[in-house]
Amino acid sequence: MVRRAGRAVAHLVTSVVAGPFVFAWALATTLVSGLLSFTYLAPPVFLGATWVTRRVATVERLRAGLVLGRRVEAPYGPAPRTHLWRRGRALVREPATWRDLAWCVLALPSGLVGLAGLIATAVDLGLVLAPAWLWSVPNPYLPAAVDWMFNTVGGRFVLTVAGLALAPVAWWIVTTLARAQATVAAALLEPGPRQRLARRAAQLADTRRRVVDAQAAELRRIERDLHDGAQARIVAAGMTLALAQRQLGGQPAGAEVATARRQLDEALAELRRLVRGIHPPILTDRGLVAALAALAGDAPLPVAIEAGELGPLSPAVESAAYFVAAEALANVVKHAGASDCAVTIACDGDLLTVEVRDDGRGGADPSGSGVDGLRRRVEALDGTLSVTSPVGGPTVVHAELPCGS
Amino acid sequence: MRIVIAEDLLLLREGLVRLLTGTGHEVVAAVASAPELEAAVAAHRPDLSIVDVRLPPGFRDEGLRAALAIRRREPRTPILILSQYVERVYAAELIADGNGAVGYLLKDRVTALDEFLDAIERVAAGGTAMDQEVVRQLFARNSGDRGVAALSAREREVLGLVAQGLSNSAICAALTLAPASVDKHIGNILTKLDLPPARDSHRRVRAVLAYLNQ
Repeated sequence: MVRRAGRAVAHLVTSVVAGPFVFAWALATTLVSGLLSFTYLAPPVFLGATWVTRRVATVERLRAGLVLGRRVEAPYGPAPRTHLWRRGRALVREPATWRDLAWCVLALPSGLVGLAGLIATAVDLGLVLAPAWLWSVPNPYLPAAVDWMFNTVGGRFVLTVAGLALAPVAWWIVTTLARAQATVAAALLEPGPRQRLARRAAQLADTRRRVVDAQAAELRRIERDLHDGAQARIVAAGMTLALAQRQLGGQPAGAEVATARRQLDEALAELRRLVRGIHPPILTDRGLVAALAALAGDAPLPVAIEAGELGPLSPAVESAAYFVAAEALANVVKHAGASDCAVTIACDGDLLTVEVRDDGRGGADPSGSGVDGLRRRVEALDGTLSVTSPVGGPTVVHAELPCGS
Repeated sequence: MRIVIAEDLLLLREGLVRLLTGTGHEVVAAVASAPELEAAVAAHRPDLSIVDVRLPPGFRDEGLRAALAIRRREPRTPILILSQYVERVYAAELIADGNGAVGYLLKDRVTALDEFLDAIERVAAGGTAMDQEVVRQLFARNSGDRGVAALSAREREVLGLVAQGLSNSAICAALTLAPASVDKHIGNILTKLDLPPARDSHRRVRAVLAYLNQ
């Protein structure tokens, strides 16, 4: 309790002392920055002033944190490592810059209000310590009712008792004012609720992308592991069986060995289907455009591929784009009764678009299970998938995937 | 037959060597990467190279690329590509030069020993060996083709075996048909696909594959 009171008093004292300086600093930097804003000096001056303001605000956050009993977070975004002008502009756009400045201005009135707490403290301490000092102050013209309290030793001890009795009131005033100051400071110097939500959203998007990328990388690893591991071992076992079968010749066991060999072939065929479903090898070998061209070439109708310059894509985006096109093409072949089909894939800035358009009969169910699976896959990458298929056609499957570098 | 093997997985490389030496062939070099393959083929001039598609350093399709490079330099170098999976596109690239002496098979086919040995003989002799899975993909893409649609079920069966690169006698054996009826079926197929009649079976195979890949 004494410690809290001590901290509160310290906070009030420093606030009163620092308030005018901080206020003057805010006034000066605003004036200077404003005057220089038409010159080449503006960015360095503004950057320098903001740097100092931020250090001051950091100290203020520590002070407020001591009184509030919690950490007061800094709201600053990461500084771009670019040209001075751009960094200056980024700072101007950042709300935290202006909230810091607003706090600098408020520091003066806030400190002055805190003065009330200091006066309360001084008065109470004065009462408690009355016997020690009051004798040295002449008080000749007091009303009779209080005269004895000031001018007799016993009376002064009554003042001490009164001071002790009023101590809780003084304590309340001091801590409340200190808390009020700290709360105002924290409210301005902490990230606002919007900023906190935006930060959280960015963080979630980031972690989700990492999860999706890790999953895609994992699927590639599984494909490779199967290729070098299980599949190779099964083939090797098949080779051994083939030699054994040859050595057994026409013996009855030969037929059993032949059966075992065929069963291994079936296992391999099954593994191949599995691998194609999780990560088609041609996508690993030749990349997205070649894999799409292969898909197009395997279709029983003419499929035109229009591909722009794609640049490097993350494995997750690449395989999502591939499976969108593959599923859409499979549906065209199965249901559309189309005679012509076009797959367009292009990267515009940081958006990859995949579109499969056919001239078939349309009327496709945009919420079918295959499309639904694709949509989930695309949405996990913050993308969108739309299917438009009016009766009579044409059917267009359109996917957009963020592919930010 | 003198054979060069390029396969990066030791288990399979050893298995292939065992299999081939066990059936009377000579493995003159067994290497594990694409550059080594090109060097070995240049050094040994083998009767056949058996090459895995996926090879170091990139573990993508280096084996196939090396095979294509070798055949660009020496157009009739017999090469049989083995792979854990088959892609029609890769098959099309292999047969595109029209020179024959190429094969493209799933690794599993190695275990059907007689057919595999037949396939390597065929490739070494300038013929073709296409995996039935490639042929299945070819049929799927040609399902809308007029010529293919005009074929009877039996003719389709025969066409599938022709596309795999089998000789007339092998087709006779596979379908238990008389040589004369196989000849007749093949004649019908060529007519329906509007392909010129060819006595040479290797050339016929190439024409059929070119038709299905166009």
